[in-house]
Amino acid sequence: MKFNRDRNWLIKRAEQEDLHFISVGGLISRIDPEWQAEVSATPLVEATKAAFVRLLQLARRERRLTLEALADKADVDLAELVKVETDESFKPTPRTVHQLAAFLKLPAKKLMVLAGLLQVKDFGLQQASVRFAARSEPVEDLTPEEHAAFEEYVKFLNEQ
Amino acid sequence: MAAARALSQQPNQGLLIPRHFHWDWTRKEAELKLLAVKFYGLAYAGKLQGIMKVETVAHSCRLPEQQGKPLVYIDYIESAPWNIKKLMAALGQPQRFRAVGTRLFEAAVLQSQEEGFRGRLGLHSLPGSEGFYVNGCGMTPVGRDPHKQNLLWCEFTPEQAERYLARE
Repeated sequence: MKFNRDRNWLIKRAEQEDLHFISVGGLISRIDPEWQAEVSATPLVEATKAAFVRLLQLARRERRLTLEALADKADVDLAELVKVETDESFKPTPRTVHQLAAFLKLPAKKLMVLAGLLQVKDFGLQQASVRFAARSEPVEDLTPEEHAAFEEYVKFLNEQ
Repeated sequence: MAAARALSQQPNQGLLIPRHFHWDWTRKEAELKLLAVKFYGLAYAGKLQGIMKVETVAHSCRLPEQQGKPLVYIDYIESAPWNIKKLMAALGQPQRFRAVGTRLFEAAVLQSQEEGFRGRLGLHSLPGSEGFYVNGCGMTPVGRDPHKQNLLWCEFTPEQAERYLARE
């Protein structure tokens, strides 16, 4: 194979690539676990995963969006979103979490931690996540308590 | 192959296929499929920086002017997370290596030329990547594929492949 050695060609292509996500996720951890572990520092507290799922569910319901509508608005794969909401052990792709963070106006880095894609030593975040997961229950409408818990947690995420 | 598979799935296939054939159709089919699949990995500094999987038999061209002709199908392509600028920017960290996806994509085009497919290439783009393939690479957005989660089928003609590879 004769690859193009023209530096200008490559720079131009790199600039185009930098504007997009070209990842098609799902295979990373099976091929090279190091890709996932690269940025890790401490063991993940499982409660943060539960908080991530609950946060998505409540954020979606508060906006009165179906899973399909959220997938459409956040520009993420519907099948992956369904797995995120129904399987707490499922690890979403970085792109999906990034897109969800952008749509929900939440800090992407925090959401990455909650989703289990990034591991950082943040005791405050872990404690807040445990409290949030414990206080919110998946029911049809948000109760005032759920709403308060949701608001408090979003405020916490945005303040840190 | 389809007929052989159907035959092997018959309840009494042991009676239908002579024993001296010594032929495991399922395994043969798997081997043939394996020959048509190729993985590319781009490694640097002792780490895998990107990976791509291509197939050469499962798909064919859909554009009217080249319908039915063979192509290289990109089934999977991905850069390591630390090479994705938007992701690393969101994490407040610098991107490590650029153009990883570009080099892998280029390898697929070159393989298509080497296989005699003249650069014909096809893929199902995820929503967030359509701009890269259509505007960035110059592929033709043929249409949504209802059999593949309504993803956008994009295709390269030989001329588009040449333009992509050309020095500018």
